[in-house]
Amino acid sequence: MNPNLPPETPFLAGSERNWRTFLARSGLLLALVLLFLILSLTAPNFLTARNMLNVLRQISFIGMIACGMTLALIAGDVDLSVGSVVALSSSLLAVLHVKLGLPLWTACLLTIAEATAVGLLAGWIRVRWNIPALIVTLALMLSLRGAAFVLTNAYPIPVTDPAFAFWGGGHILEVPVPVWIFLGTVAFFWFLSTRTVYGRSVYAIGGNAEAARLSGIAVGRIRASLLGITAFLSAVSGVLLTSRLTSGYAGVGVGWEFDAISAALIGGTSLFGGEGNIHGTVLGVLFVGLLGNGMVLLGVNPYVQDVIRGGIILLAVLLSTVQKPKGSQ
Amino acid sequence: MTSAGEPVLRTEQVCKSYPGVQALADFDFELRAGEVRALLGKNGAGKSTLVKILSGATAPDRGRIYLDGKPVELDTPSTALQAGIATVYQEISLVDSLTVAENILLGRWPQRRCLGFRLIDRCAARSRACSALDRMAIALDPDTPVRRLSVAQRQMVEIARVLSFHPRVLILDEPTSALPQSEVDHLLTLVRRLAETGVAIIYVSHRLPEVLRVADRLTVLRDGRAVGTIPAEGASAGCLAEMVVGGEWRPRERAASEGRGEAVLSVRNLHSCGRLREIRFDLHRGEVLGLAGLLGSGRTELLRTLFGLAPLEQGEILVYGEKIPRPDPIRMKNRGVGFTPEDRKAEGLVPMLDLEDNLSMACPGRISRLQVLSTGRRRRLAEHMFRLLQIAAPGLKTRARALSGGNQQKLVIGKWLNAEVRILLMDEPTRGMDIHAKEQVYRLIADLAGQGIAILLVSSEMEEILRVADRILVLNQGRLTAEVPACQAGLEQLLALVMQENPSSKLMGKTA
Repeated sequence: MNPNLPPETPFLAGSERNWRTFLARSGLLLALVLLFLILSLTAPNFLTARNMLNVLRQISFIGMIACGMTLALIAGDVDLSVGSVVALSSSLLAVLHVKLGLPLWTACLLTIAEATAVGLLAGWIRVRWNIPALIVTLALMLSLRGAAFVLTNAYPIPVTDPAFAFWGGGHILEVPVPVWIFLGTVAFFWFLSTRTVYGRSVYAIGGNAEAARLSGIAVGRIRASLLGITAFLSAVSGVLLTSRLTSGYAGVGVGWEFDAISAALIGGTSLFGGEGNIHGTVLGVLFVGLLGNGMVLLGVNPYVQDVIRGGIILLAVLLSTVQKPKGSQ
Repeated sequence: MTSAGEPVLRTEQVCKSYPGVQALADFDFELRAGEVRALLGKNGAGKSTLVKILSGATAPDRGRIYLDGKPVELDTPSTALQAGIATVYQEISLVDSLTVAENILLGRWPQRRCLGFRLIDRCAARSRACSALDRMAIALDPDTPVRRLSVAQRQMVEIARVLSFHPRVLILDEPTSALPQSEVDHLLTLVRRLAETGVAIIYVSHRLPEVLRVADRLTVLRDGRAVGTIPAEGASAGCLAEMVVGGEWRPRERAASEGRGEAVLSVRNLHSCGRLREIRFDLHRGEVLGLAGLLGSGRTELLRTLFGLAPLEQGEILVYGEKIPRPDPIRMKNRGVGFTPEDRKAEGLVPMLDLEDNLSMACPGRISRLQVLSTGRRRRLAEHMFRLLQIAAPGLKTRARALSGGNQQKLVIGKWLNAEVRILLMDEPTRGMDIHAKEQVYRLIADLAGQGIAILLVSSEMEEILRVADRILVLNQGRLTAEVPACQAGLEQLLALVMQENPSSKLMGKTA
């Protein structure tokens, strides 16, 4: 160590720094444990293996989308179209298989390819004309949902294939299949965001796009690809959901963009880019999932549930703002 | 140190002009390997234009640049960096959420392939970052996220980052302006050490004593030309100040107002978070009080604190004898204080709104009754100010962004006059203006003072302060170190006071 160098300057003073770093590091975990304990004591049938596995399955569908959403948010973008992509994928899959008689696996692949292509196109538009991703995906959110209803005439289309039903409803080692897929997605995205050139470039873009550009990082291509990734994940989620529900329906996935974004925000991802991580998002997904499940079990009025959910988001964002050192000019 | 042979960097008749300004005129310059060359000059002398050209941020109108005897085209920052010219700007551009190592190697991370993925080879990244840091003798853990670093440490990382390109020339643009005094020594030692490894260093700074310590030679710029290059050894602050100024400046325009009016704004023992210390002064009715100081001396912080834009941590601010415990812009405005910010476009006006809206922005009460806007009143009010200030624009419906700098400044002043302020805090009122526009603003300031408005004016241009102010306060590293009546102050004396490194010591005895 060089003795000339002054000690690292703390950016927050003494005790303040301690509780803030503590809160930043483990506040969410603490809240999650607290929520779990409270629900275990109050909600009937909460602490049963059946309910736990059920919650895990429910959060898996949104959880895998939240992984991609986290990356998009870190890059400073957002994808509002994910819920509609789920709906369109579910509808398209059913139409291709049932109405057009394509083999199921071909239909699945086509559905996922279509969604990814649309996502990449949206990404290209976002980059080519430098339109905020918020606007591009807001437009997609409306159009794709509409397209899903047009495709299916707003009727659910049954997809009854026992082999297919396994992917959304089956179990491996007592654990639902979507949960395994979710875990795989988490592992992959954790690896992508921490270990790969691509992942670190995403952080660089969100943290300082100009510095990233001047350092020779392909800012445009990476931004565009992120919307492709969220669309891909949404399509996979839509296919699994179709398998779970054994029907394709244009009304699924409503509000999922909200859940995916809020899970990431609760998990510490910054809405302004540059900050965030996958493990935080996993905790966020668990938190949102447990809260929803607990409120249903406790028989909370669904409208009141929405009020509570919104309040939690506000609280999470407030907390993450408080944790930041103020006056960073 | 390399012997004096072929220069590393040579410029030949480099010219650059901006509308109304010849920023660089036939600029010739040579730089040897292993030398630290300081660039001195007042604002607008051409230092930053030269830095921009050498770093590839802007292209010269004509002229050639040779690196190691070969002509080079520096059309973008990255080509300049690849060619061997690295620049560290005042604003540091690091990515907060990435680690020190990731920032040093940003965009050039060592990679290895695994299952078709391009992975970051973290061992290689760490060792390359370590060697870059070692080269500078900096003890920093390469895995620390940059957001945890102090300003000085960030700057070190930034320097390590550009050094990892193995540049032949390193440009440091005002590297110490954001550093606390304790860190400056460390940086200067580092600069010397780098020079010994053969890197040629261009060191741009306003701070004379610092420059005299670190540089081998000094080049003084004036009006876009190199006035002279002298060895640092034996150079005195006095003779440098004269070279910087060139002995020509125009005397002040208006006679000092006779006698002082009442004190309208008083500051007592103001402290602020290490940036400002024991500030104490009075501003009188009809007085133009100049606040002279270098970048980083706390001059802008002081104005912002007075207007309530930065928290008042300690001390008292009195307006017309009334103590303002927690100043904020609304309170200050209601007591007759206005503020014209340095960055007019971003903070002073709304560029996409028209003159009428901008001129009436600060006085909603005068153009409305019971919250309902009276368009007639608004127009009359705006029209009156439009004429009074002789704003050059096609009409009141012109958008503010279409105006020239001088007219935008008039607009900002007009906004406050409509709000009937009696005290005006002005931060760099003529920044970026041409001579003609400056003259108009000076005349306006004199008129306002003549009408009894008290003006506190911050400027980095000493000529401007000498020209406009009745009385001058010198702000040096957060302290008021001198008070000079403008009619008695000479430019060189003022410059010396402002640039004095350690205000309490007798470093520059002859300036006292």
